[in-house]
Amino acid sequence: MFALIKIEWLKIKKYPAFWWMLGIVALTYPGINSMAYVGYLKATTGKSLSNNLAKMFLGNPFAFPDAWHSVAYFSSFFILLPSILVIMMVTNEYTFRTHRQNIIDGWSRSQYITSKLFDVLIIAVIVTLVYVLAAAGFGVYADSTSVNRWTEGLQFIPLFLLQTFAQLSIAFLLGYLIKKAFIALGIFLFYYLIIENIAVTYARFKMNDIGRFLPFEMSDRLIPAPPFFSRMGKDAKEAYTRLIDLIPEHVAYTIVLTILIWIICYAIHKRRDL
Amino acid sequence: MQPVLTLNGISKSYGKIQALKNVAFEVPEAAVFGILGPNGSGKTTMLSIILDILKADAGSFAWFGKPGTPETRKQIGSLLETPNFYHYLSAVDNLNITHAISGRGSAADIDHVLEIVKLSERKRSRFSAYSLGMKQRLAIAAALLGDPQVLVFDEPTNGLDPVGIAEIRELIRELARRGKTIIMASHLLDEVEKVCTHVAILKKGTLLTAGPVDEVLTNEDIVELSCSNPIHLHDLLIGFPGHTHIKLEGNKVQLFFPIGTAPMEGINRYCFEKGITLNLLFAKKKSLETKFFELTND
Repeated sequence: MFALIKIEWLKIKKYPAFWWMLGIVALTYPGINSMAYVGYLKATTGKSLSNNLAKMFLGNPFAFPDAWHSVAYFSSFFILLPSILVIMMVTNEYTFRTHRQNIIDGWSRSQYITSKLFDVLIIAVIVTLVYVLAAAGFGVYADSTSVNRWTEGLQFIPLFLLQTFAQLSIAFLLGYLIKKAFIALGIFLFYYLIIENIAVTYARFKMNDIGRFLPFEMSDRLIPAPPFFSRMGKDAKEAYTRLIDLIPEHVAYTIVLTILIWIICYAIHKRRDL
Repeated sequence: MQPVLTLNGISKSYGKIQALKNVAFEVPEAAVFGILGPNGSGKTTMLSIILDILKADAGSFAWFGKPGTPETRKQIGSLLETPNFYHYLSAVDNLNITHAISGRGSAADIDHVLEIVKLSERKRSRFSAYSLGMKQRLAIAAALLGDPQVLVFDEPTNGLDPVGIAEIRELIRELARRGKTIIMASHLLDEVEKVCTHVAILKKGTLLTAGPVDEVLTNEDIVELSCSNPIHLHDLLIGFPGHTHIKLEGNKVQLFFPIGTAPMEGINRYCFEKGITLNLLFAKKKSLETKFFELTND
């Protein structure tokens, strides 16, 4: 297992796109949360009635313990950045035909897929680390008086990791099946940004919310919109409570889907001509 | 002695096109085994199957008497079709990956094989900056890493200049002298004839012949003769007993006999007794090119 990780590291460590993407993720995740935080400060700083009302409704979503949840939620919008990296890494192997050379040199076909699984897992862990650092930073900075509550809401770390790994696995499957970087990226972005959002919204109102079983939405629901969105009325609060209650169910769905994706990859790779 | 590689009835189709039809042969130890065939005859498909890149529809193969596994592939240095490397990595970094996967060689070996293929000076350059010939040289270096006992080369001189071709030919000879088994696909007949001990000829997926070069090339004796008056010689030799046919080629006469029956002394005596003094008399081997066209022409 460590031998596979070591070999993947030999491939990745001098891959410029890897470091670029890592740098972009490291800037984007704190960046998008900073924008949300600045928006929050603008709405709540001041002595007017509206400022005080906003403060009352919103609480401080960037202070502990809500920071874990809020930062996870905002960061998860940018899963497409590491997804691009995952797609590039798998399609590169086809472009360079190294997916064949690795087998010729002595890997089994399942070792090849396992090495890719580690790639996706490593990227998911790195992205999660960036999220944890960003959330911890906001938690400490936003309100030093609530730092002692940092242990509350830690469940969002494994949820974020699972969501990231699940969604990157979908990106991997697309790259693995389609083989061409630009086509895979195009389909990924078109489906992720447009098709599924329309389908989920339509299903929410017309089809008893069946859209929650779509591939990305399934794991999107591991991290619902943070509580400050639900402080605006009874209906919103009930909807939020329902979403929170559904998280364990979606954890199960996500794990099943992700396992299925990797089983498909192993099964195809075992049989297909390379 | 256990053959290094055995193919048993390998067949492979791509849709309606049958790339290999029931191909079977053996590669003995320490052979330089040339696989010949025109473009699209199934050479690369066959090598891809024995390296587990393609799955055969039917038949089986065995390396060292056992079904092929990742472990057996690790012991074989292979160059299949094109040089396959990570474009953003240098020669050394790419060979480090080859070493890490196959377990063949070491850091010192990497320098050594790069020296053999004359890439030492550019060993830190990115693969993407290499010329076609340099890429091919790196692929050969990767196959040589760890000095494996068996090597598979698919068109090893692709993209090389004439000097490079000669160097690789000499390298293959040197490897053969050291007892390595080399399986080499090529459509360059001259290249195969110069280095191979065994040959298999494929055409449209069918194996036409396979065996030691001498056996494959020699299925009849050819005696080439000449004198000051070749036309007269030709007419005279028509009456010589035992030959199957006769040809006048320029100022030379070719006399064909069933294999192993050409009576060289008898021919010489026959001509002398008829008042002709020969200035050329020798037993000629059919060139691989002649044989190849004979077999592959429809």
